[in-house]
Amino acid sequence: MVMRKLQLPLSQTQKVRFDRAIERLHSLSSTANSDASVIVTDSIPVNHDDAFLKGHGTSEVNGELLATVCGVVERVDKLVYVRTLRARYKPEVGDIVVGRVIEVAQKRWRVELNFNQDGVLMLSSMNMPDGIQRRRTSVDELNMRNIFVEHDVVCAEVRNFQHDGSLQLQARSQKYGKLEKGQLLKVDPYLVKRSKHHFHYIESLGIDLIIGCNGFIWVGEHVEVRDPMAIDDQKDEDMISSSAENTGKEQIFTLLETRQTICRMGNAIRVLSNLGFTVTLEIIMETVNLSNSKNVDIHDMLGSEFHVVVAENEAERRRTKRKK
Amino acid sequence: FKSVRLLDIIIDLDGFVSFFIISAFHLSYNMLLNQLRCEEGDPENLLRNSFFQFQADRAIPDLEKQIKSLEKERNSMVIEEEESLKNYYNLIFQHKSLKKDICEIVFTPKYCLPFLLPNRAVCLDCTNDDEEQQSFSIEDQDTWGVIMKFNKVKSLFEDDDNRRPEDANYTVDVLTRCMVSKDGVGKKKVKAVPIKERGEPVVVTVPLSQIKSLSSAIMNIPKDLVPLEARENALKKVSELLSRHPDGIPLDPEVDMKIKSSSYKKTVRRLEALENLFEKHKIAKSPLITEKLKVLHMKEELTAKIKSLKKTVRSSTTLAFKDELKARKRVLRRLGYTNSDNVVELKGKVACEISSAEELTLTELMFSGVFKDAKVEELVSLLSCFVWRERLPDAAKPREELDLLFIQLQDTARRVAELQLDCKVEIDVENFVQSFRPDIMEAVYAWAKGSKFFEVMKIVRVFEGSLIRAIRRMEEVLQQLIVAAKSIGETQLEAKLEEAVSKIKRDIVFAASLYL
Repeated sequence: MVMRKLQLPLSQTQKVRFDRAIERLHSLSSTANSDASVIVTDSIPVNHDDAFLKGHGTSEVNGELLATVCGVVERVDKLVYVRTLRARYKPEVGDIVVGRVIEVAQKRWRVELNFNQDGVLMLSSMNMPDGIQRRRTSVDELNMRNIFVEHDVVCAEVRNFQHDGSLQLQARSQKYGKLEKGQLLKVDPYLVKRSKHHFHYIESLGIDLIIGCNGFIWVGEHVEVRDPMAIDDQKDEDMISSSAENTGKEQIFTLLETRQTICRMGNAIRVLSNLGFTVTLEIIMETVNLSNSKNVDIHDMLGSEFHVVVAENEAERRRTKRKK
Repeated sequence: FKSVRLLDIIIDLDGFVSFFIISAFHLSYNMLLNQLRCEEGDPENLLRNSFFQFQADRAIPDLEKQIKSLEKERNSMVIEEEESLKNYYNLIFQHKSLKKDICEIVFTPKYCLPFLLPNRAVCLDCTNDDEEQQSFSIEDQDTWGVIMKFNKVKSLFEDDDNRRPEDANYTVDVLTRCMVSKDGVGKKKVKAVPIKERGEPVVVTVPLSQIKSLSSAIMNIPKDLVPLEARENALKKVSELLSRHPDGIPLDPEVDMKIKSSSYKKTVRRLEALENLFEKHKIAKSPLITEKLKVLHMKEELTAKIKSLKKTVRSSTTLAFKDELKARKRVLRRLGYTNSDNVVELKGKVACEISSAEELTLTELMFSGVFKDAKVEELVSLLSCFVWRERLPDAAKPREELDLLFIQLQDTARRVAELQLDCKVEIDVENFVQSFRPDIMEAVYAWAKGSKFFEVMKIVRVFEGSLIRAIRRMEEVLQQLIVAAKSIGETQLEAKLEEAVSKIKRDIVFAASLYL
């Protein structure tokens, strides 16, 4: 957990409360690794007689192992590397990412991913709208704009790295693809830890939450994921007829409640990002429930009072968790 | 037009069924890790949709039909007084097994070798195993003969040399009446038969287990047994002995052979008690006892078959490999390849890259720094152990540095295998460790140093194609290791591996085509 200076004006009492909450959080967090934190050009203590492997963030200079980044020294068997605390998004194969399309190029889309290069989503890595697996023809290429245009928000998976270091994405299942009716939020990438599931569906609120590993988070209205193989032919026909009706008429608007919930969740994530807490489903729901229970208005959530309240609540929650 | 009904039978063009395809699906750590890596990877789904599961599910109705028919057959066999008959049947089997136990104890080499003197009369067990039905009496067929000598059996594996001599196998050459017959292939088959039946006196080699009892009588037999009359005379003497003493004056195990084992005494007492029970059993006097016993025996066999079939059905309905999947996940957690939430960690990401060789052992070797110190050629030789799975009979032992590396490899492999065994994955530790063969280490070392291919072939005697295949596979493993080294950030190791690739990728081994 990394703390950062809050960029909000705090009154005197608020400052006192805030500092106290931060102090408690510091004391609760594990201090085991504080000796292992290094800054650039710090020498890493290593047993030179043993064969050790130098990993990321290290380099050997004059027989000594120096750190090239600021972070915490990690050791896995004989591998020594430095894990950075705050850095740019470092993609791994299989990561779920959310991004915005910035360009429609020849047979591919370029997606902005909060990485040092743009991600590339090939046309062949996309499922065709009708779901049939086939070779992409030039007609498909000309119709690329029907699938994604500039400024669309898409969700995809990292497939591999190119030789020049740029990412190749794929969106091969129904879960991935264009995201509509929601908000895209940008947080710092190091606040998102890799976990088992990045797609969350909150049933009670009817909201989809996608926590992208690159720090882009999507909060939106729930969309039924259609698995093309699990549908009978009959149901398929019904769906096709009903969707045809829909596109003919005006789009059905989202309910006001859902939109308010989306905004509330979005603000909760913004608050957490400002405070520097790791963003997980658990803590987001905590914050949203807290705001509901204290009857905080959606706009007021971004005020300094709510920030202080959230910090205090989080300290309390961790303390009770520690006790268990 | 013949329509193919079943999808897993190969039928050649004439319509003859060639053979069945049996699924060889198995789980591997690489597959498991790659599944866990992506969000929608579901190993269970993969197992459920596998061909193996399909075949198992498909066999179920067949098995159930079999069970039904067997049950019907069994229920149609009606025997009167079944209860007491079953009791008697059990007694007979107990008697047989007790007798066998006694024989085993008495005839362990430790006790009986001193008494296997030449010219001793001996009683052999010669139940005819060609007959389908078992004999249902306490008496069984036996014959008498004279011991010539005994031999120690040389075992097939030299590793058994350190077995104690008392445990080794022995055979005894016995002169007895035998039936010599030629079976279909023209080979002579010699079978011992009771002394009164027809046959010729021949010396036959029997295993120690076939001896029923030793006689205390030592016959006076001429040394030269080639002429037929000499042998006939010997057997006549044995018959005389038998007629005078019907039981052949057996050696008493406790008094003469001095067997003091307590288990022996216990078994003998139980046998006596059992023989008493036999006398008293009311059904023993019933006239059709043997026939009834035969029918009962068949019924028991059917019941056993039904039971095993039912067990197979039960095991097929559950997901195949489910336990193995859980055990393997446990192994990955223990080794640190995934964390407790089954999210793949750094070590696991390295193992994800390796698919052409044993991924766990290779990753462990990499992280223990073995690759870092070794020179390029030595590294390549070490990798050859991963791709060479045959056992060469006369392979040269590799030189010292290579041997050292090989021993490190074996230690790592043993550690990995023991951990797997700990987590309840079915694996044979010794087998696993022995599967890494150092046979071509020298040859690959020479190749990496720059020798020509024919020089390399002189070092080790294998098919050229096998060696080339091994070297090509090694290059594949090296490429995967380069990607793995890049992911952990070890640039030095990566450079070393790339140098290794350039050293072995040359000449005829990597020629794209031999003809163009």
